[in-house]
Amino acid sequence: MDVIKADILILGAGGAGLFAALHAYDRHPRLKIVIATKGLIGKGGCSRMVQGGMNVVLNEKDSLENHFLDTLKGGGFINNQALAWTLVSDAPKAVYELEVKVGCFFDRDEDGRIHQKPFAGQSFDRTVHVADLTGIQLISRMTDQIFARNIKVFEETRGLDLLTSKDGHRIVGALLSDIRTGEIFVVNSKVTIVATGGCASMYKISAPSFDKTGDGMAICFRAGAEFVDMEMVQFHPTGLVAGRSRLNGSLLEEGLRGAGARLYNGLGERFMERYDPERLERSTRDRVARSSFIEIMAGRGTVNKGVYLDASHLGAEFVEKKFPGMVERVKDIGKDLAREKVEVTPTAHYQMGGVCIDAQCQTNLKGLLVCGEDAGGVHGANRLGGNGICDSTVYGRRAGDTAALLALEEDLHPYQEAEAEKMRMRWLKPFLRERGENVYEIRSEIENLMWEKAGLVRTRLHLQEAAYHLENLIQKIDEASVADRYLARYNMEWNHIIDVANLITVCRMVVNAAKCREESRGAHYREDFPETDNENWLQNIYQKKGTAFQLELTKKPVLLSHFKRENIEDCFFERVKKKRTYTESCDGSTCL
Amino acid sequence: MPDSLHVKVFRFNPDRDVEPRFDNFEVPVFDNMALLDVVMHIQNCLDRSLSFRFSCRIGMCGSCAMYVNGRARLVCRTQVSSLRTQDITIMPLPNFPIIRDLVVDMAPFFEKWKKIKPYYVSNKEISEPVVVRPGSGEREIIDDMLDCITCGCCYSACSMVATNSEYLGPAALNRAYTLIADKRDAIRVERLKTVDRSYGVWRCHTQFNCAEVCPKNIVPTRSIQNLKRRCVLHKFGIVK
Ligand SMILES: Cc1cc2nc3c(=O)[nH]c(=O)nc-3n(C[C@H](O)[C@H](O)[C@H](O)COP(=O)(O)OP(=O)(O)OC[C@H]3O[C@@H](n4cnc5c(N)ncnc54)[C@H](O)[C@@H]3O)c2cc1C
Ligand code: SF4
Ligand code: SF4
Ligand code: FES
Repeated sequence: MDVIKADILILGAGGAGLFAALHAYDRHPRLKIVIATKGLIGKGGCSRMVQGGMNVVLNEKDSLENHFLDTLKGGGFINNQALAWTLVSDAPKAVYELEVKVGCFFDRDEDGRIHQKPFAGQSFDRTVHVADLTGIQLISRMTDQIFARNIKVFEETRGLDLLTSKDGHRIVGALLSDIRTGEIFVVNSKVTIVATGGCASMYKISAPSFDKTGDGMAICFRAGAEFVDMEMVQFHPTGLVAGRSRLNGSLLEEGLRGAGARLYNGLGERFMERYDPERLERSTRDRVARSSFIEIMAGRGTVNKGVYLDASHLGAEFVEKKFPGMVERVKDIGKDLAREKVEVTPTAHYQMGGVCIDAQCQTNLKGLLVCGEDAGGVHGANRLGGNGICDSTVYGRRAGDTAALLALEEDLHPYQEAEAEKMRMRWLKPFLRERGENVYEIRSEIENLMWEKAGLVRTRLHLQEAAYHLENLIQKIDEASVADRYLARYNMEWNHIIDVANLITVCRMVVNAAKCREESRGAHYREDFPETDNENWLQNIYQKKGTAFQLELTKKPVLLSHFKRENIEDCFFERVKKKRTYTESCDGSTCL
Repeated sequence: MPDSLHVKVFRFNPDRDVEPRFDNFEVPVFDNMALLDVVMHIQNCLDRSLSFRFSCRIGMCGSCAMYVNGRARLVCRTQVSSLRTQDITIMPLPNFPIIRDLVVDMAPFFEKWKKIKPYYVSNKEISEPVVVRPGSGEREIIDDMLDCITCGCCYSACSMVATNSEYLGPAALNRAYTLIADKRDAIRVERLKTVDRSYGVWRCHTQFNCAEVCPKNIVPTRSIQNLKRRCVLHKFGIVK
C-alpha cells in the first residue's frame, strides 16, 4: 500500500472541507495539506446545491441575540448553546471573508448593500443569497481559491476508515481509495478533519446529492467517536414528485409557501387548515412536512402519493419572475409551476445529529476534527433554513484554524500497519465472491424501511421493527458481490457496496436514538408520545460504539449555558397557549 | 412515448480493451424519465459494470455531461421525451481523455481554467463588502456569466479546442472575463495578459457552438468579445 505523509488530511470538499483547507493553509502556508473528495473537486455534496441562502446578522437593527434565540427556538432548545452561539457570532466574519477574500458577490439591495431576504422561523430578514443558486457561487469561488494555493487535492478519492496510532489513543490519518483506479492507500497525518456532509439519503425520498452516504459518520463511528441526537433528521415539505425518476424528492424552495402557495390533498381539501389554522402553509418545516405525510398515509394523497402545491393563484408572471429556477425544474417533468398545481412530497433533507464537537471542532478522539453536517449539536432538534451552509462555513473555518495549531504542536505518529491491512481486506471482500447479495436491492430495502418505520411519524413498535431489520441488512451487505470482479477501476457497484455499508451504520444510530426519545420535539415525532416533554426530555442522547459493534447509549441534560430554563418555559408557554386555541377549532382526531 | 428505448452505449476500459465498442440495451420508459434514469437503469439492472459520473441530479454540479444523439448535454437535465426518438446513442464528452466508459478525465479543462488565474485576488484597500447599486452598470454582464458549473459541454463542442490543444477554450475565458471586469479584483491587468495571446481570446472564431450547448444559457462568446475589446483598449493604455 502506498503511504503519503501529511500534516492535515481533510475528507470532503463541501463548504466545510474547502473552508477548512483554506484557513489551515492561510494560517501556515508551509503545512502539507491534503484534501480528498468523493466527487470532482467543487462538485460533490450539498453545499453546491444550496438554493435559498445563508443566515447572518449584518443589519444594525438585527442582533446576534435574535439570531441565537431563533436558532434555539427552531432547535426545540436542545441545541448545544455554546455551538449555536459560535454559529451566529462567527457568521458575519464568514460572510465578509466570502465577499472580500474569496471573491463571492452576494445580491445587492437597492441601496447597494448586501440584500437579506426573509426565511421561515426567523425574527428578521437575514438570509444573504445569490439569486436562487447561492451554492454554485460559494463553492465555485472557494474551489478557485484552492487552485491558488499549494494544497494537494485527491479527486474522486474516498475515505474508507480512520487509522489509529500504535497506542490506540490517537487518529493518525485514513485509509482511502482512488475511485478511478480502485487502488487503496494510506494518508498518515497529524490531524484529520472529517467533513463529508451527513446522509439524509437513507430515505426513499430525499434531496441530497448521490455521493453523500454517511461515509464520514460511519467512519467516525467505527473509530469510536461519540455522537449526539442522531434521531433528529429534517424533512423538507416540498420535494418534487417525479415517480421513478431520479428527480423525485428534489427540492422546491420554501419561498414558494412564503409567497402564498397553498397545499391541497387528493380530495381537494386545504388540509393545513386542520393542522395549523393560524399559519397554514407558512407553518414550520417539520409541521407542514408531517401534516402532508399524515394525509398521504391516510390515503388522502394524490395518485402518486403526494399532495398538491398550488402557486397558480399568485399570477403566472409573478411566479416566473420570482422563482425562475423552480419553474425550470418543474418544467423537466412536463408541468407548469406558474399555471397549474404540482405534486409534492416531504423529502429527507438534513441531519441535525452528528459527531459531538466543541467550538474548536475537536471530538472525543485525539487528532480527529469534525465540521459541517457530519457534526451534531448546533441545530438541536431542527435546523432553520439558511443555518446549514452557515454552519459549514463557520465551522469549516474553525476546523482549519484548529488543525493548523495542532499540526504545529504535534509530531507525526505512525499508524498500525496490521490495522490498515485488515481494513483493506474487509473492503475488498466483495471481489472475492463469485455470487452474493445485490447491493441495489439492499439499498432500496433500507430506503423503504427507514421511510416507513423511522421517518416523519414514529412509534416504538415501528422503530423496533426497523432496528431488527437493520441487523439483518448488515449481514446481507456483508455478503454482497460485484458483477465486474476483475476491475476496480471506476467500479460503481463496488463503491455502492461501501456506501450502503456506511448508510446502515448511520441508520442504526438514527433508529436507536429515535426509540429512546419518548417524546416529540422538532423533527422527531412519536405518535405514541405526541407531546413535548420538558420535564423529562430537555436531554441530549449520546451514542458510540460499544463492544462488538453494539451501540452504547447515554442521556445527559442539555447544558443551559446561555439561555436558562425559565426563559425556555416562557417560550414554550407562548406556544402552548396558541396550540390550545387551535386544538379547539379543529376536529381533534388528527391534531398534532 | 414508446414503451422502450433502444440505447447504444459507448464502452471502453483502457486497462483491458484494445478498442472501444458499443453495447445495446432495451430500456423500459417511465414518466418523467431523464437520460440519467436511462444510464442508472442500465447500470442497476442490465449491466452493473457500466461506469458514468453524476452527483446532484438537478443541474447544479456539472458532473454528468455526456454526448448524446450528437450533442453535449447534462444527462440529469435532459428528458428522454425531448429527444423525440426511440434510438439513443450515449458517448463520453469529446475532446477529453476517457477514464472508463462514459467517465472522462476533466484535467485538461481544469488545467486551462487554472491558467487564467481563476481565483479572485483581494484588494488590500477593501475590507468590507463594497456598495454596488443593482442598476448602476458597475457589474456589466458579470452576474449573467457567473453561473458556470464547469460541466465542460462548451469545451467539448468548440472546434477550436479540438484543433488547438493549447487554446484556453470558452469556459476558462468566460471565467477570466468575470474577474477582469470585476473592479474589486487586484490583478486584473496581469490576468488580461494571460488571455491576450494567440491561444487566448484571439483564437475564438465567434461561432457560438459553445453558447448553443451551455446548459446554463451562458454565452461565452459574448464574454470573449468583451475581453477582446478590453485587450485592444489596454494596448492604448485604457484600463476600464
Ligand atoms: C437541495 C439542498 C438545498 C439546500 N439549501 C440550503 C439553503 O438554502 N441554505 C442552507 O443553509 N442550507 C441548505 N442546505 C443544506 C446545506 O447544503 C448543508 O447544510 C451543507 O451544504 C453541508 O455542508 P458540508 O460541507 O458539511 O457537506 P457537503 O457540502 O454535502 O459536502 C460533502 C463533501 O464530502 C464529500 N464526501 C462524501 N463522502 C466522502 C468520503 N467518503 N470521502 C471523501 N469525501 C467524501 C462529498 O463529495 C462532498 O465534497 C441544502 C441542502 C440540499 C440538499
Ligand atoms: S465561439 Fe469561440 S469559444 Fe465558442 S465554440 Fe466558437 S470558437 Fe469556441
Ligand atoms: S460555460 Fe456553460 S457549458 Fe461551459 S462549462 Fe460553464 S456551464 Fe458548462
Ligand atoms: S448530476 Fe449534477 S449536473 Fe447533472
